[in-house]
Amino acid sequence: MDSSKDSTFVSLVSCDGFEYILPYETACVSGTIRRMLDPTSNFAESRSGRCVLEEIDGVVLEQVCKYLVYNYRAKNMTNVPDMDVPAELCLELVMAADYLDV
Amino acid sequence: MDNEVPLPPPRRIRPRGSASARGPSPSTSLASSFRKTHRFSRFDDCSSQPSSDPALFSSDDIPASGLENYNAGPMTGAGRKRRYRGTWWGEKVIDPKRKRADFKEKRNVDSGVWMGSDESGAESLLPSEDGPGWGEDLLKTVLDPKISGKSQGALGSFVKPLTATPAVSAMQLPILKTPDESEEHQFARSVVNDCLEKGEEVIDLGNFNLRSIPTGLLPPLQLLTKQAPLAEDFFSSLQPFLSIYLSGNSLLELHNELFELSLLKVLSVRNNKLQELPYTIQKLRSLEVLNVSVNRLTYLPWELLQLFEHGELKHLTACPNPFPQIEDCAIKTWHCERIQKETEPKSERYDLDSESECEPEQIYESLRFEEYEDVPPPSAWTAIHVATGPITRFDMEGRAIEENPKSSLVTTACRFSSSAAPSLRELALRAMCKHPGLDHTTDEDIAELSPFVIPLVQKAKKVRAAGGQRCSVCQKEYVIPRTEWLEWWDCTPYENGGKRPRTSGEILRPLPFKRFGCSGTCVPASEA
Repeated sequence: MDSSKDSTFVSLVSCDGFEYILPYETACVSGTIRRMLDPTSNFAESRSGRCVLEEIDGVVLEQVCKYLVYNYRAKNMTNVPDMDVPAELCLELVMAADYLDV
Repeated sequence: MDNEVPLPPPRRIRPRGSASARGPSPSTSLASSFRKTHRFSRFDDCSSQPSSDPALFSSDDIPASGLENYNAGPMTGAGRKRRYRGTWWGEKVIDPKRKRADFKEKRNVDSGVWMGSDESGAESLLPSEDGPGWGEDLLKTVLDPKISGKSQGALGSFVKPLTATPAVSAMQLPILKTPDESEEHQFARSVVNDCLEKGEEVIDLGNFNLRSIPTGLLPPLQLLTKQAPLAEDFFSSLQPFLSIYLSGNSLLELHNELFELSLLKVLSVRNNKLQELPYTIQKLRSLEVLNVSVNRLTYLPWELLQLFEHGELKHLTACPNPFPQIEDCAIKTWHCERIQKETEPKSERYDLDSESECEPEQIYESLRFEEYEDVPPPSAWTAIHVATGPITRFDMEGRAIEENPKSSLVTTACRFSSSAAPSLRELALRAMCKHPGLDHTTDEDIAELSPFVIPLVQKAKKVRAAGGQRCSVCQKEYVIPRTEWLEWWDCTPYENGGKRPRTSGEILRPLPFKRFGCSGTCVPASEA
C-alpha cells in the first residue's frame, strides 16, 4: 500500500450514509483518519480504505472534506486564503474537528 | 427696563442705580442672578441695554475735562472723561467703579430673553433633568403673581431645588441600576452619573475598593459632553479630555467596555491587582497617558506598542510591576545591533552582545543606547526593539506544545509550522465568533456541550466579547493563538512622557511585550 499511497483514494462515510471519496494524502490531514488508515495499525479501515465516521452527519462531513482539501492545498502556501464556514454548522464543525483532530 | 424712554429730567448728572429702587422682580431671574454673581460674562453687561451702541460724548459740561483744566492732571480726577449713554435727556453716566454692583441689580430686571450664556439657560438644555422641578417652578412664578410678589423671601427655596437636582436626575439618567448591587458599584455609578451630568471630564474612581467594573458603567461616558465653555474662549471644543482614574482599587481584570471609550485620553489603573493588560487596549487610539504601575503584570500586550506608533500614547508608567528582567530570560535574537546599524554604523559592541549570551550580567551592562554628539538621532525618541524571546507554540486547542529543541525540532517544525492554513477548529470558531447568536448563549448552554468543546466555545465567546482579536503578524482575525513570544522593547522616551530623548549611552531598560501569532507561520520576522 505504501508504494501506491499517492494514487489511492479513500472514502469517508457519514452516519447517514453519505460517502466522500478523497485522495489518501488529503484524508491524512486529519490525525484520526491517518491513524485509522495507518497500515501498521491493522484496523479494518486500513485494509478497506473506507472510514465510517459514526459521529458526523453528511452536511458536516461535506464541510470537513472541503476543509481537508483546502488544508492539503495550503500546505506549502505562505499566504493562505480564508475558507468560509457556514455559521450554522460551526458548532458541529468544532465537535467534528475535535473528533478528527484537525 | 433701562431702555424705557424716560421723560426729560432736569439736566443734571444722574447716578445710575436707580433700578435698585424698583420693586421686587420675578424671582426666576433673581435666582439666576444670585448664582450668576460668581461668573463673569461680558454679555451680561449689555443684556438689558439697547442694541445700538451707546452714544458717547466727549466733554459736554464736565468742567474737569475742559481746556482750562488741561494741566490739572489725573490727581484731580480730571483725566477721566465721562461717558454718556442713552438719549440726551435721559443720559446717564457710566461709572466704571460702580459697574459690578450696578450690573447685579440690573439683572433683577427680567428681560424675558434667555441668553445662551445664561446659566439657567444652559441647564434648560437638559430637559429630562430638571423638567419637573425647575420648569414647573418657573411656570408658577410666571403665572402666579403671588409668588412673584414675595420673591425675595422665596429666593432661598429657589436655590434649594437647583442644588438638589443631581440627586433627582441621577435617578433618571440612562444608567440602569440593578437592585442587588454592591455598595461600591452603586457609589461608582453615582460618581459617573455626577460627572456625566456636570460635564466633568475627570472621572475619579480611585480608592473605591472596586473588585470589578460593573457592566454599563462606562459606555455612557463616550457621550460625555463638556460643559459649554464660558464666553472667554468662545470657540473651544466641546469634546472632553476624558480621564478615568481607577487607581487604588482591587481590580483583577479590566472590563471590555473600558476599551470602547475611543475618546479616552488618560487612564490610570495604578495600584490594582491586574495580572494582564488585554490586547484590546489598542482600541484606545486617543489615549495619551497610561499608568499601569503597581499591578501584578508580568508582561504588557504587544498591541500597546501600536499605540506609541499609531496612537497618541505619550506617557506610559509601567514600573513597578513584577516584570521579569531581561537577563533572567531566555533570549533567542538580539536586535540591538540591527537598530544600531540603521542609525549609526559603529555597532560592534552589540555584535559582541549576541555572542556573549552566557554572561548575562555583562550583557546588561552593555545594553546601552548608542552614543551621539549633539543632536539626538530620531531613534532616541522612539521605542527600540532590544530582543526577542523564544517562541512557544500551541496546538489546535491552544495547549502549549513542549518543544524539545534537540530531538523533535524537525518533527514539530513539520507538524506545526509548515502550514499557514488555520485548523478546522479555528475556522469554525472564527465563524462562531462572527455569529451574533454567540452573545446570547449562556454558560449553561455551553456546559451542555461536549466537554472537549467547552473551553473552545468559551474562548470564542471571550474573543467576541472583546471585539475580536487580530494576529499581530498577518492581521487576520483569530481565536486560538498558535504561537507566542516575548519581545523586549525599550520605551524610555515614552516613560518620560516623550519630553526628553534618550541621553547618549543611556542604559536600556527593556520591558517585555507578549505577542501572539495565529498560525504556525506567524512567527517573529527573525525566525521566518
